[in-house]
Amino acid sequence: MTAGDQQGSERVAENRELTGDQRKAERSAAIALAVTVVAGIGLFVVYFAGGQTQIEGVLFAIALGGLGVALGIWANRLLDAREVVEERHELSSGAAGRQALGDALAEEVGPVMGRRSLLLKLLAGAGGALGLALLLPVLSLGPAPGRSLKVTSWTRGRRVVDENGKLVTLDTVPEDGFLTVFPEGHEGAADAQTLLIHVRKGSLRLPPDRLAAVPDGTHVAYSKICTHAGCPVGLYRAESQSLICPCHQSQFDVSDGARPFFGPAARPLPQLPLGVDEQGVLVAQGDFYEPVGPAFWDRNRGN
Amino acid sequence: MSMVMERSLKYLDERLGTSSLARKTLRKVFPDHWSFLLGEIALFALVVLIFTGTFLTFFYTPSVKEVIYDGSYAPLRGAEVSAAYDSVLRLSFEVRAGLLMRQVHHWAALVFVASIVVHLCRIFFTGAFRRPRELNWLIGIGLLFLALGEGFTGYSLPDDLLSGIGLRIFYSVTLAIPVIGTWVTYLLFGGEFPAGDIISRLFVFHIMLIPALLLALVGAHLAILVLQKHTQFPGHGKTERNVVGKRLWPEQTFKSVSLLLFVTAVLALLGGLAQINPVWQYGPFVAYNVTSPAQPDWYIGFLDGALRLGPPWDLNLFGFTISEVFWPAVLFPGIAFGILTLWPWIERRFTKDRAEHHLLDRPRDTPIRTGIGAAGLMVFFIMFLEGGNDIFGVLLNVTVETITRILQWALVIAPILTFLVTYWMCKSLSRSRLRPARINAGVRLSRTHDGGYETVSLEPAASDGGDRAPAGAGSHSE
Repeated sequence: MTAGDQQGSERVAENRELTGDQRKAERSAAIALAVTVVAGIGLFVVYFAGGQTQIEGVLFAIALGGLGVALGIWANRLLDAREVVEERHELSSGAAGRQALGDALAEEVGPVMGRRSLLLKLLAGAGGALGLALLLPVLSLGPAPGRSLKVTSWTRGRRVVDENGKLVTLDTVPEDGFLTVFPEGHEGAADAQTLLIHVRKGSLRLPPDRLAAVPDGTHVAYSKICTHAGCPVGLYRAESQSLICPCHQSQFDVSDGARPFFGPAARPLPQLPLGVDEQGVLVAQGDFYEPVGPAFWDRNRGN
Repeated sequence: MSMVMERSLKYLDERLGTSSLARKTLRKVFPDHWSFLLGEIALFALVVLIFTGTFLTFFYTPSVKEVIYDGSYAPLRGAEVSAAYDSVLRLSFEVRAGLLMRQVHHWAALVFVASIVVHLCRIFFTGAFRRPRELNWLIGIGLLFLALGEGFTGYSLPDDLLSGIGLRIFYSVTLAIPVIGTWVTYLLFGGEFPAGDIISRLFVFHIMLIPALLLALVGAHLAILVLQKHTQFPGHGKTERNVVGKRLWPEQTFKSVSLLLFVTAVLALLGGLAQINPVWQYGPFVAYNVTSPAQPDWYIGFLDGALRLGPPWDLNLFGFTISEVFWPAVLFPGIAFGILTLWPWIERRFTKDRAEHHLLDRPRDTPIRTGIGAAGLMVFFIMFLEGGNDIFGVLLNVTVETITRILQWALVIAPILTFLVTYWMCKSLSRSRLRPARINAGVRLSRTHDGGYETVSLEPAASDGGDRAPAGAGSHSE
């Protein structure tokens, strides 16, 4: 067409006469765009018909994909894509430039500051004091830990109940069975969750004082919170009397004071001392022997 | 140009002086290589995340207040659940297109982190972090951390059983920080687990604090990229002092928009067809319940695996306790990400290379760096595998104990082997002088005569092979 007029200008001289390949490309792009139109209309229909996740996803993908294909064809086959060279510029301003900035910064402020070091020191002090004061509200975000990680709501004489508040006796859990129990009035309490396990008689190898806290010698109770990373220790293998944490597979030997024998846990699950009251209901003789759950810095301090 | 367009450009130009700036920008040159698109994929996934995420916030309730579920998902009707969990079920089942949005959002998050990681690998293995790009490396690492934080907080918001366990583990990890662990944990969670404030706090982190930082850093990341101009692979006509590639308008714009559309299309397809995070199957969070098997999203997998592989060693120091969780979940990530963050300076200490680099390394030409990178990836890969040991145990019919033992040994041996094999492969590839396909002969290269941005000449390049500058030529003295 007018190729002669355009030469020399910055604009690329476009050849309006499309080659056969370009015509083909144009046709493909047109088809792709038409697909987008159809899929877009389809989306309308599906949405107003009540919506359907799978069809919506597919139609949406087709609509976007059609547009993408069209632009891709345009970019690769219809544009006169040329490699262009651009020179890099020096990034640095050079020594002179830095000197000029330093001078500009110091020009007005420098002389005043230079003579008044007391003023400067106080300025730093004021900034520091104000900064610290502004940080104080962060402390409002949580209570002081205190002893809260070392105690649970289990206390001496508190009756044992299941998650629904039903009292637990020696007849509740069958042999080789186990039950998640709580202190009465604290059903569902995260830190008081306890596993009551009915083991076979004589299978426990515990020190005498701890064995005395196992009613009937068969109803032993351990904290359900893994001492590794705090997951509920939810799996019990009765034949090997082992508890397994499903999160990181720490395994605890129930007969041996819930001592960890495989996996990443380092400490046994703390035992809860139990007894039986006059009505035959299981009661706690006190809190767990050790702090429950994962280790923390002052775990063994001030117990 | 149409009248309207002309007039609006004139209006803007007279007030903001935009026309010459826009013209310069449109002519900016970006080198072409498929691996340069990885960062773009991350950017586009972020775009999808912002749109779908905004939609989700209109329906989500950040509260652990107990409510009775009475929605359309029959198995849970009548169950006591938190308001957060209830709202997620409602937006999944009752809100039209809600489930699609939620699933696209989740898939986009997985793709977002994945493309950041692969982009990071590209930068690492080609030495693109070297001077003058160390600051952008730091910003990139910051973006990776923010992406991980965004992923973890978002994934915990539905208050389902699986994510509740994830939070419980996170709580135990922060407890394991020496000296300040208990305080940090209580300030973060608002008290002993499961303190009631955590969901609303996660929400603020997820939709405000982290996204604000993320967008600010993305802006800085791109601004620095434009300022310093993109790196390029060595090849015909490419030197330390120039950029050879396609212009922002029209080639790169068409390609990028096309890529944006493809990324979104794939995410829409995944979100529509591939179910992800079906929280109604996990059930609401109950502090004394647990799911098995339990896997987090893929990018947290290495940490969960590290916790499974960790040795059962707790330490007593003058009556104070260092948790066994400390080694795999605090110390290991601290060291690994510390090395990653400081890598440009660590490498410089050994190579003494302070020169400016705009030409990229081929991984084979830097066998030690490539070997170390491969070994590092192997460490993460083994931990990632261990994160699924219960699933592999069932699939392969082996006990988790066996898998854990094998992977514990692999963690010691495999990275060393990986380094040696990679090093050897790089050396022999380098010796073989095989040329990668991308050094394309026959590029029609045009050069500007007066230092302008581009040339108009369409004649084939005359300077064939004459301008191949040696690496390091672009360095300059301070």
